Amino acid sequence: MLFSWDLLIQGFADALTWSNLLWAFVGCLVGTLIGVLPGIGPSAGIAILLPLTTMIPPTSGIIMMAAIYYGAMYGGSTTAIVVNIPGEASSVPTCIDGYEMAKQGRAGAALGISAISSFVAGTLGLVGLTFFAPLLANVALAFGPPEYFALMFMGLSLVISLSGRALLKGLIAMSLGLLASLIGQNPLTGAVRLTFGWLDLMAGVSFISVIIGLFAISEVMINVEAAATLIYETKIKGWMPTWKEIRQCFGAMLRSTGIGFFLGLLPGCAPAVTTFIAYDVEKRFSKTPERFGKGAIEGVAAPEGANNATTSGGFVPLFAFGLPTGPALAVLLGGLMMYGLQPGPMLFQQNPKFVWAVIASMYIGNVILLVLNLPLVGFWARIALIPFPILGPIIILCCVIGAYSIRFLMFDVWITLVFGVIGYLMRKLSFPIAPMVLATVLAPMLETSLQQSLLISLGSPFIFFTRPIAAFFMALAFLSILRGIWIQVRTHAPEIAIDESDD
Amino acid sequence: MRSQRRGDIVAGCFIALLGAVVIIAASRIPGDPEERLPPRTLPYAVGFMTLAGGAGLAFRSWRYRGQDLAIKWPDRDGALRIAVNLLLLVLYIALIEPLGMPIVTALYVAAAIWYIDRKRIVAALLTGAGSGVVVYYLFIKLLELQFPLGLLQR
Repeated sequence: MLFSWDLLIQGFADALTWSNLLWAFVGCLVGTLIGVLPGIGPSAGIAILLPLTTMIPPTSGIIMMAAIYYGAMYGGSTTAIVVNIPGEASSVPTCIDGYEMAKQGRAGAALGISAISSFVAGTLGLVGLTFFAPLLANVALAFGPPEYFALMFMGLSLVISLSGRALLKGLIAMSLGLLASLIGQNPLTGAVRLTFGWLDLMAGVSFISVIIGLFAISEVMINVEAAATLIYETKIKGWMPTWKEIRQCFGAMLRSTGIGFFLGLLPGCAPAVTTFIAYDVEKRFSKTPERFGKGAIEGVAAPEGANNATTSGGFVPLFAFGLPTGPALAVLLGGLMMYGLQPGPMLFQQNPKFVWAVIASMYIGNVILLVLNLPLVGFWARIALIPFPILGPIIILCCVIGAYSIRFLMFDVWITLVFGVIGYLMRKLSFPIAPMVLATVLAPMLETSLQQSLLISLGSPFIFFTRPIAAFFMALAFLSILRGIWIQVRTHAPEIAIDESDD
Repeated sequence: MRSQRRGDIVAGCFIALLGAVVIIAASRIPGDPEERLPPRTLPYAVGFMTLAGGAGLAFRSWRYRGQDLAIKWPDRDGALRIAVNLLLLVLYIALIEPLGMPIVTALYVAAAIWYIDRKRIVAALLTGAGSGVVVYYLFIKLLELQFPLGLLQR
């Protein structure tokens, strides 16, 4: 099945119903809020709200979740520019020139170009998603269980090998994620394992508990430890950049769209990675690179464009193959599964109304975000000033509500707390968190496809190397592992993960 | 454990130990010879991966002789803040069922805000009371979520 205008128009008709528009608006609002507030990121935000969305229809629920994800990318720049505190890790490069502009009294122009660049790159990225995803889904129709297993194996390998110089720590994080999801019953046979005789563990460990703990609780602990407070000093005068500045940034927006979108297709290339690359490329392209770091407006446009294009790019493998490229998309994948929807090529065949309504809603969401972000910049900047002593306990309250709502079991709340402590220790010891989250979400599918593959091959593991597509993915997986080992052997450096992000 | 190297050695040993525990637990899973993928296989594989990863990390860090980095552990005040906040959170979770979600939420939020910033007594009380009201009316009454009501049920 290829792209069809009829389906896209039908998608717009569905996305423009009052209820779907309302949920897209709520998602954009919550996403921007999550992006603005430094204590919580999109993965934790989506995970907390996921159990609560089961009372609304699946299309509206996923429209809202997706809007939270791309909305957070818009919101993250506000605190980066105004108070030099990135709301998300992906906004770190925005601080460099954005805060410099703010110090020069040009915070409004920086916020304006950030919103415009986010809109342009986000929308262009969505055009890519609209045409690429059905094309790849068509290819994925030829996939059987061995190809899916190999694809997920490759995804996990890439995420580990891209965890900075921490290959062993990435491997350990992935093992811990797999371990968490192995606890309880086998998804196919129902056999109980690794419960250590504890009855509560028979129902398994919910991936939502793991994610809320790893991202939200541990983040609050880090902030509590530092006694974080926010001080607001910058005054915003006017929020629009000049036409000359917009024209000046046009090239940066297009380049960052290309970088963000195509890197966003790869597992492990989170917005936190692509924004740095886009910033660096823009600096190299510039005829006056010396302005970068001193308030260059392209230095704001490039990372802000890249993070939005990356989010659009990430939806391509999610919809086409059911492969999340980062933690937030892994939570969204979990959301799709909670609704009984199997992401991948069959999603386009069996639920075209759903998938095109979600894609269409993203175009609408980008417009909503532009409207929310440009005139309301002052409001969002003030929201960012909520002191952490008040914000922290409220985030914890949201975590407890989210964790309890999964299955209405206190056990899930305790498990969330345990993973909060694990997440805190992982951050302190520089373990990457993304491989653990991806492994937790992908493990049931990985296990099911492995079992089905071995049934087809009568128990022979060579099935992953004799079928061309599976063999291709396995080869890529081994190459990425070898690359990681080579980098580690060459550098002789201690195991330090790249700055971990909740996006 | 203030240095990254020592931290990695200790973490690696703990993780290797966890891997060993998983392998022992996996060996006790009843086997089924009819299965193409016996129930023990994946837990074994993950256990071995955890053991190997932990041992590898500990060994690599032990052999590492380059420049060591410091782990940013909290100072005494930071550690106390984390300990008290964790204690408050444990009490919050433990008291949800006996006291009920709205009441214990109000108490937790007020206490946690007050502990982190003693100057905000009024803000703590108001935010705590507001949180309890939101939990009761929004989540329990409006969204009809099955949260424990505790004392309010009586």
